Amino acid sequence: MTYLPPAGPSGRSPVRPAGHTVVRAGHRGSFLLHRRALAVAVVLAVLLAAAVVASLCVGESYVAPGEVVRVLLGLPSPDELVVGTLRLPRLVTGVLVGAAFGVSGALIQTVARNPLASPDVIGVTHGAGAATVAAMTFGLTSYAVLPYVSVVGGLLAALLVYVLAWRGGLAASRFVLVGIGISVALGSLARLFVTKGDYLVAQQAKTWLTGSLNGRGYDQAAPLATVLVLLVPFLLWAARAQRGAAFDEDTATALGIGLGRVRLGLSVLGVVLASVATGAAGPVDFVALLAPQIARRLTRTPHIPLMCSALMGALIVVVADLLARRLLAPLELPVGVFTALVGAPYLMWLIVSARSSRTGGTA
Amino acid sequence: MSGAASRRVGWMAFGLLLLLSAVMLSLAVGSRAIAPSVVWEALVHGGMSDDAQVVRSLRVPRTVIGVLVGLALAVAGTVLQGITRNPIAEPGILGISQGASLGVVCAIAFAGVHSLTGYVWYAFVGAGLAAVCIYAVASGGRGGASPVKLALAGAAMNAFLASLISAVLTTNARALDEFRFWDVGSISGRDASIAGQVWPFLLAGLLLVLAMARGLDALALGDDIARGLGRNVALLRATGALGATVLTGAAVAAAGPIAFTGLAVPHIARALVGPQHRWLLPMAALLGPVMLLLADVLGRVVVRPSEVPVAVMTALAGVPFLVALVRRKKVAAA
Repeated sequence: MTYLPPAGPSGRSPVRPAGHTVVRAGHRGSFLLHRRALAVAVVLAVLLAAAVVASLCVGESYVAPGEVVRVLLGLPSPDELVVGTLRLPRLVTGVLVGAAFGVSGALIQTVARNPLASPDVIGVTHGAGAATVAAMTFGLTSYAVLPYVSVVGGLLAALLVYVLAWRGGLAASRFVLVGIGISVALGSLARLFVTKGDYLVAQQAKTWLTGSLNGRGYDQAAPLATVLVLLVPFLLWAARAQRGAAFDEDTATALGIGLGRVRLGLSVLGVVLASVATGAAGPVDFVALLAPQIARRLTRTPHIPLMCSALMGALIVVVADLLARRLLAPLELPVGVFTALVGAPYLMWLIVSARSSRTGGTA
Repeated sequence: MSGAASRRVGWMAFGLLLLLSAVMLSLAVGSRAIAPSVVWEALVHGGMSDDAQVVRSLRVPRTVIGVLVGLALAVAGTVLQGITRNPIAEPGILGISQGASLGVVCAIAFAGVHSLTGYVWYAFVGAGLAAVCIYAVASGGRGGASPVKLALAGAAMNAFLASLISAVLTTNARALDEFRFWDVGSISGRDASIAGQVWPFLLAGLLLVLAMARGLDALALGDDIARGLGRNVALLRATGALGATVLTGAAVAAAGPIAFTGLAVPHIARALVGPQHRWLLPMAALLGPVMLLLADVLGRVVVRPSEVPVAVMTALAGVPFLVALVRRKKVAAA
């Protein structure tokens, strides 16, 4: 990881990294803004808005974009039922889930300094999945409680992988290998619980395990939105802390960054986000892997941009869900199937193009 | 006979004993427990009692398929570990099993093939393609096919193939109803004829493996030394990979994808009889069925009255092995 060289001293700010603009709020607050990242974020936001409108237009019946916008603005419209009641809740869930996965992937990849260490590879989503299915089997089906169950599951899985991979240090390759193993075990555990439950619960759990937005609505979106709002202050902290966490140990120590604390905070935040998102829509695979990587390639920043990752994640999920709904209409594919079809080859490409035999530094 | 050799023979005898007890357990335990003496009676003298019927028509086919599949997967895992010199190579982790099941699912959904002798060929094609892809991906880039790259490529391949399978099954409701076990491997509810159809393919796979088994010890010393010993390394690898593919394809055609049997068993066998393949392969062939049958028996009793598919149980039993292997320094650093 390289840090941008300072562009040299100039009038007001002595150090101004290339490509950044210093935003000042009054005399005390200031923030470095990457100009290209900002432009990318705006473009992604526009694309996301377009995808959202397109997704609301298309379905079993076509609704004109004008009507969709009217519904979104709260104006009376004949299509209010279809757009506002049937399609919008699902879409909102998709946007939130995608954004959460995107940010989660960005944080965990930053901490691991390794693009391969996304929450789905290291067992977080499967932990959340297994915990949720277990809760469903034991008769806990209230949407008010399930999200917390999945957070606990995700955190436990991450902790388990961490403990098992720790051996006088944490090598990235060992971390990833243990993560893959634990993912398989937790996936099997989830299946075991599916077998145990009665027929109805089993059906519900099975659909959920494929990572689908079908039938998801405000019941699932509300807890996710709550958690996201609660996490906003932490995310602001993360956006700043993230730049320090990307350094190697020596540089960070020399700069006076408490690396251990920062990494812990960022990973917990990432794990919580991935778990909550999984709780809402099931394990939608590979979004957390793809979104930060694409976002970073677009912005060309040295760190992984959080905002762009969130937008990218939301865009991926919305577009994938749109395609999954319409490609084989009237049949619907789970959105997780679709993201895996795109994400898995990308992961393979990452492996092939990895420049060193160890797939990155230490985690 | 030297001490080491007699110890190995002792372990082999112990393995045989284990296999016999596992077979007995598999015949006796289930939703209806049957006393061993009754099982024996039913096997030897027949009889028309309910217990005898259950043993002969349900449990014997299941046990026979379990033995065949366990043997196939364990031998395939041993060979794959040998030819890749990679401790975590295994048909399930590498996605070869999943490739075979995609082949079978496509055969059922699109080609209208419904017999094992028909779709086993599709399984071979699927398994072979997956194996080639995995190895190409993992050995691409710098550093060759290290364990972590193989495992990651395998995880990606598994996810990709699993999503293709679920796409095919979602769009093809009939295939879904008929062949639920392609999602998760299971040896329950199989017809007795499956065992009869699958064994020639297993035999072919075993013969391929036997043809190259002597070369595996040379390969373990490294490509250069193997070449120096007069081995044709490329041919050895190709034969071994073909043998493992045929074994995996046949096992999947009979039981669906079952992971981790091919990982755990070779390592246990190696710990018992050492790394020489003339001991290792037979030992793995004995222990593979043991692991599969015990996992299956456990799956029958753990959440009564329903049954857990055997693949779930083998995964739960096998993951600790993977973790233990990974924690040994050599694997992760390679």
